[in-house]
Amino acid sequence: MEKFDINTLGIVFALVGAVLASLLGGIGSAIGVGMTGQAAAGVVSENPTLFGKVLILQLLPGTQGIYGLLIAFLTLTNIGVLGGSAEITFAKGLLYLAACLPMAIIGLISAKQQAKASVASIALVAKRPDQFGKAMIFPAMVETYAVLALLVSLLAVANIGGIAV
Amino acid sequence: MAVMPMKRIAIYALKNRRKQILELIQRRGVVEIDDRKADETVFARMDTVPAKARFENNAASLQAALEALDKLEPPEKSLLASLNGRDPIPLSKYEETAQQAGELLKTASRINVLWKKCADNRAEILRLQTQIRALEPWMKLDISMRTLGTPTASVFIGSFPTEYTEETLRAMIAEGAPEVDGVTVEVLSAAAQQTCVFLMCHISQGLKLETYLRSIGFTYPAEPSKTPPADRVQKLNGRIEALQAEIDGAEAEIRTFKDQREAILYTIDYFTMRTEKYDVLGRLWQSTHVFIITGYVPAENADALKEELETKLEAYVELSAPDENDDVPVKLKNNAFAAPVEGVLESYSMPGKKEIDPSTIMAIFYYFLFGMMLSDAGYGLLMVLGCGIILWKFKNMEEGLRKTLTMFFYCGISTTFWGILFGSFFGDAVTVIGKTFFNADVGIPALWFVPVEEPMRLLLFSFLVGIIHLFAGLGAQFYQLARQGKWLDAIYDVVFWYMLVGGGIVYLLSMQMFADMVALSFTLPAAVGNAGAIAAGIGAVGIIFTSGRASRNPGKRLLKGLYGLYGVSSYLSDILSYSRLLALGLATGVIASVFNQMGAMPGNNPLGVVIFIFAFVVGHTLNLGINVLGAYVHTNRLQFVEFFGKFYEGGGRKFAPFTTKTKYFKITEEK
Repeated sequence: MEKFDINTLGIVFALVGAVLASLLGGIGSAIGVGMTGQAAAGVVSENPTLFGKVLILQLLPGTQGIYGLLIAFLTLTNIGVLGGSAEITFAKGLLYLAACLPMAIIGLISAKQQAKASVASIALVAKRPDQFGKAMIFPAMVETYAVLALLVSLLAVANIGGIAV
Repeated sequence: MAVMPMKRIAIYALKNRRKQILELIQRRGVVEIDDRKADETVFARMDTVPAKARFENNAASLQAALEALDKLEPPEKSLLASLNGRDPIPLSKYEETAQQAGELLKTASRINVLWKKCADNRAEILRLQTQIRALEPWMKLDISMRTLGTPTASVFIGSFPTEYTEETLRAMIAEGAPEVDGVTVEVLSAAAQQTCVFLMCHISQGLKLETYLRSIGFTYPAEPSKTPPADRVQKLNGRIEALQAEIDGAEAEIRTFKDQREAILYTIDYFTMRTEKYDVLGRLWQSTHVFIITGYVPAENADALKEELETKLEAYVELSAPDENDDVPVKLKNNAFAAPVEGVLESYSMPGKKEIDPSTIMAIFYYFLFGMMLSDAGYGLLMVLGCGIILWKFKNMEEGLRKTLTMFFYCGISTTFWGILFGSFFGDAVTVIGKTFFNADVGIPALWFVPVEEPMRLLLFSFLVGIIHLFAGLGAQFYQLARQGKWLDAIYDVVFWYMLVGGGIVYLLSMQMFADMVALSFTLPAAVGNAGAIAAGIGAVGIIFTSGRASRNPGKRLLKGLYGLYGVSSYLSDILSYSRLLALGLATGVIASVFNQMGAMPGNNPLGVVIFIFAFVVGHTLNLGINVLGAYVHTNRLQFVEFFGKFYEGGGRKFAPFTTKTKYFKITEEK
């Protein structure tokens, strides 16, 4: 029997990382946008003129899914799944998996938390439409951490290729 | 960048000129009227509440009539109508409207009466239809539903709550009331919930039969008709037709007022304006012959207004500088470059007392940051074209919308600029199209560098932009404090921070370790680094000793100073926050590339071209939408949180002049 080469598992772990990034980020955003959508629909039923404003607030927790997609895509390109040679060592596979985790986990949690802030902001806008500028900032504060996670994942994924392991 | 200087205005005039003066001020729209105290033994206020209520009712009645009219005869409306703004009408038209107002109110109340009639009739029709439906199970009956019997027979017309056939019923009666014989049983209708029956027996046995029937759930109908059900239904249908005919007639009559739609709109505006005027009227102090108006007027309009009031309308106008305690409203005046961001500023807060109008400095950074986050030449050009065409086509647009679109127009220019620097045109569309369909290796070279290839470089640049942005905010704080003559505060709160943060950064840049960490191509000489470190040290010591200067207790002061120094951590997080410039910039480019590649997957064949075009249009529309939203939100955040945090609190009250707040038309002066 041929000896099992552990390095064939590298690509598996790398792909798991990419999938997790888009999967968890997407789940978080789907939950988040769903929550905010319900709140927004309620406001529009009372005051249709606020549609534009609450729509923006509704979409705020949607970015984590996009960031997740971004990391997933970058990983897929770097590990050669989208064309090129898909030869990843076991260690590198694990590195890619680790690199994707910040975006995956923080994406999921921050989207849900941001949605809560967004729902509250939608209620704020419903009562005081003139305070839209401030209402937008509260959910955007939560997003900071998704952006930071994106940054870490991004820099890691982009630079793993150069590491000699 | 300027907050317009305001003047207090007081107008004294004779009462017989009141109408003209108020109308003039309303049309000029430059005076915000406030409530001042006056000598109440001489002056009194007029009770205008009833008059106001009457005007409001009139406007509401016209509005209701308009809605009815619009339901029957929807006005032609294009999708872009909302961009059009209000149509201008000359003043003479306004006066004409005033004369016709009474006539139109009659029309409106006629429309409202007719419309109410329609609504009532519709409700009645609904009620009759319900009755008809209730009669349907009884249709087979050809006598009155109230028939109880003849001199020799007892008749039972009613229903059971379950389904029976004639046979089961007969069997049940035979079994349950054996002494009763010769019962006629006729099932009129049978359904799961209800069986309607006609039963007849000799009068002598009527009582016994009834007792038994009741024991098995027999009930008389709730609303028996006097005539046979079929006749009754026919009659009800006749009534429905009559009601419907009335509705048709009323609607036709409402339709005849179609041509008056425009006039109704004028009149709604007319009453809205009068409501506004009477609101002001109720706040004026008046004596037997004189009245007083007090308020604020922008200094630049003050003299012209004074001149006009004094020469034309024999008023006496007093202008004065507002004093310290006055709650002066804020009006901003900016050039075409900075004015568009006023809306964003306003959504945060108007400048408070002694604060500067940050619009200009904010506008520069706003366009810059927005462009960096979106950073795609294709998207930028789309924004420029879209906003440009709309702005050019709809000259009469409302002010707020015009500002917003102009803002996005400038943001589009900046986006195009950054797109060219980063070599992004609909992502990598040119490369993908060239490779897939023309087998050519083409591409737009980046004028500067490609962010995906050198993310670290863009990250550092983002931090640099952040530091400049924050320092600009600190600079604004310095200017604000210096303008008030608080030079020491300016040094304590601004210069020390410049030294600490700036010096710290210079020192970092001179360290080989930091340069290696972020792959910097240069390090500053050690001497410069040391100078930076010394500056930072002085800054830090200065902050420790001055941050707590509000407290007298030395111990408390030192603790507060140390806490002030701890604020340096907020600078760290502020600067790190600018990493979103990189994250969002990359997001636009990478997602655009994803769509391009998805579109190119079917390859170079006719179907592939169609799929590519489809993916291109849908994908990039989606990406543009999401990323414009993202760039907008995060640019606002950087402005509101990081930038404003350094110098701007807001809290000002927006200038709200007494003017014509009309809904449908803009009244213009004829010259």
